[in-house]
Amino acid sequence: MVSKNCVAMILAGGQGSRLGALTKNVAKPAVPFGGKYRIIDFPLSNCVHSGIDTVGVLTQYEPLELNTYIGNGNPWDLDRSLGGAYVLPPYQSGDTGEWYKGTANAIYQNLGFLERFDPKNVLILSGDHIYKMHYGEMLKAHQESGAAATIAVMPVPWEEASRFGIMNTDESGEITEFAEKPAEPKSNLASMGIYIFKYDVLKKYLTDDERDPESSNDFGKNIIPKMLADGQKMMSYRFEGYWKDVGTIQSLWEANMDLIDDPPKFDLSDRKWVIYSRNYALMPHYMGENAIVKNSTITEGCDINGTVEHSVIFSGVTVGKGAVVKDSVIMPGAVIGDGAVIEKSVVGSDAVIGAYAKVGVSEATDDNPYKSKYCTHGIVLIAGEAEVPANSDIVKESMVTA
Amino acid sequence: MRNDTMGIILTGDEQIAPLTDIRANSALPIAGRYRIIDFVLSNMANAGIVNIGVATESNYSSLMDHIKSGKPWDLDRKNQGLNILPPNLEHKSYGVIKGNIDLLSGIRDYIHKSHQTYVILSLGNIVCNIDYEAVINSHIESQADITAVYKNLTGVEESDLTRYTLMEMDENGRVTDVEIQPYYPKTNKASMEMYVMEKALLESIVDECSARGDTDFVKDAIIKKMGGMRIFGYEFDGIFFKIDSMKSYYAASMSFLDSECRKELFNRERPIYTKTKDQSPAKYGADAVCTNSFISDGCVIEGTVENSILSRGVKVAKGAVVKNSIIMQDSVIDEGVEVNHVVFDKEVVITKGRKLIGQESYPLAISKGTII
Repeated sequence: MVSKNCVAMILAGGQGSRLGALTKNVAKPAVPFGGKYRIIDFPLSNCVHSGIDTVGVLTQYEPLELNTYIGNGNPWDLDRSLGGAYVLPPYQSGDTGEWYKGTANAIYQNLGFLERFDPKNVLILSGDHIYKMHYGEMLKAHQESGAAATIAVMPVPWEEASRFGIMNTDESGEITEFAEKPAEPKSNLASMGIYIFKYDVLKKYLTDDERDPESSNDFGKNIIPKMLADGQKMMSYRFEGYWKDVGTIQSLWEANMDLIDDPPKFDLSDRKWVIYSRNYALMPHYMGENAIVKNSTITEGCDINGTVEHSVIFSGVTVGKGAVVKDSVIMPGAVIGDGAVIEKSVVGSDAVIGAYAKVGVSEATDDNPYKSKYCTHGIVLIAGEAEVPANSDIVKESMVTA
Repeated sequence: MRNDTMGIILTGDEQIAPLTDIRANSALPIAGRYRIIDFVLSNMANAGIVNIGVATESNYSSLMDHIKSGKPWDLDRKNQGLNILPPNLEHKSYGVIKGNIDLLSGIRDYIHKSHQTYVILSLGNIVCNIDYEAVINSHIESQADITAVYKNLTGVEESDLTRYTLMEMDENGRVTDVEIQPYYPKTNKASMEMYVMEKALLESIVDECSARGDTDFVKDAIIKKMGGMRIFGYEFDGIFFKIDSMKSYYAASMSFLDSECRKELFNRERPIYTKTKDQSPAKYGADAVCTNSFISDGCVIEGTVENSILSRGVKVAKGAVVKNSIIMQDSVIDEGVEVNHVVFDKEVVITKGRKLIGQESYPLAISKGTII
């Protein structure tokens, strides 16, 4: 096998439980985003644009949809003879074999995979962030500095810094201290969960970590602090630009809304940094005689006969006559019945909203049977394949499951 | 998989200026994100045919770019799959392709090497969603020498019927007469230019015709040999468009605004595949008005669009009005522009405040890359 300078490993095994019913049957990286994408399209497309052609995708939770989605990697141009995309589920070997215990353990279990490419560096990514980033430049900085590890950081508002893993750095950018969710942050540089390691160093620390029964086998909790304590040279790589963790219903909704602002906070139409995705054979969308659409994105296969305002409509969605969709995210194949009114909602794939139903219109009530802790900020979540009966009234902050 | 039949697509030579100046007519963009050839190709792929040859005549670079490895049709196979066959002029004494027999003769090695028993031969400029599997089965069952697919064009005006090759059949469906674009049509059974036969028969027809200097498959083979061969008609009762003129191109395009037409041509059982471009979803601005239109990904619409078909990446600026038009990939309609009944090829730019008005019977076509 030809040796690779850098192999990427995408951690895509997480459930994303805070996404409620959206991740009941799919892993978080497979959750639809932005009209025609899935969350994992972002790190995969970034890899390809960054010149990284060997990517392992570590799956664990509900892997079926994610595995079939990635397939042989062709949509991202990752169906290669040397390298390409690999789906890496946990496996049994000899008399051992276990689930991925943590992020570090997941990579440890796949050292055999990495070994085949004899990489000089390994890029660790998570499959649940929305951003466009040139990893190649980060790799260049990593190699020039000679660091054992380089961690991408971005400035966050000071008042939010205590929600993140915070890196304290000296003026050269070398990391001096790492604090996971500090009460009193000394810096506002948050770790983005993007690491580049020298492979031999990574291998040593992962192997040592595995021997430690006390360890929770996590990069943030164990590997990074241990390397810092050992005096390994760790550099920060500053990223400025759009980056969003879409771990909650509210942040997922917000990230979708960021696409339709004028000008958009996050632009997907850049032809030089195309986000690739698996495309299905769908016709262009049809705007009916009575369609009204403002400040929205609409994609292939849709049939719009009502009003769509400030919303992201995914592929194959039908909006019936007289229906009104406002400030909402409507995922693939959903059907919005005639006269239905949807406001500030996330409607899952293939959900059916009955005619003249109201969703997210009425104020939340205390005795709401659909009330859910996952739905905050007034947002309603209709799970994939759920059916909302005609004429029903789903109040704000409800979660309707299938 | 249908291992007993191969497909051959002949790209037609009908000129639709200025759109076909730069491309084979089978490569004409249609219905927003498609090319005309996508329909025949997808029909073959949906029938499980895995060995398809596309015989090209001229201007085939755009077609090659579109089809490439055949991946969208699932035809990037280790063995067989999709083959684009540029014209082979070496063995021709005059070096000019005079008819489809010359095209077929140029690819006779490919035909000969294919191991299938049957061949389905189709023109590339036909828009329809047809179950080829049923056509092939009917051919085998009827023990015909050749099965010709036709459509009963009832209610179509006589003047329009003259565009087609018309067939007469007896009560058993056996073809008794064929006339190519007759001035006075005797029947309304229009050939869809799709033929199923044994591969060996096609080979012998091509061989015989080319040895005699004959050039046309229908004129020289079907018509001349009708008496000695069992040629049967297969009736197709769905939507069928033959794209051979600007008028027919415009009319066929506009029919995609009809929901019944969309439902049939883009049905779920037999999808129509095309090359994907990974454009972001279409974006509508605060002042956008868009009704009765077919819009592709990558479009940015801030003005008004009515009764129109937009290909990928078209920009319609604020205050611009686009009506009854076909606008192809990456064209730009600037602020305050008004266009009606126009056909813009790719990358046409119409600058601020200009007006272009065509007529339904004579849409105004603008060639690729024009700046107005």
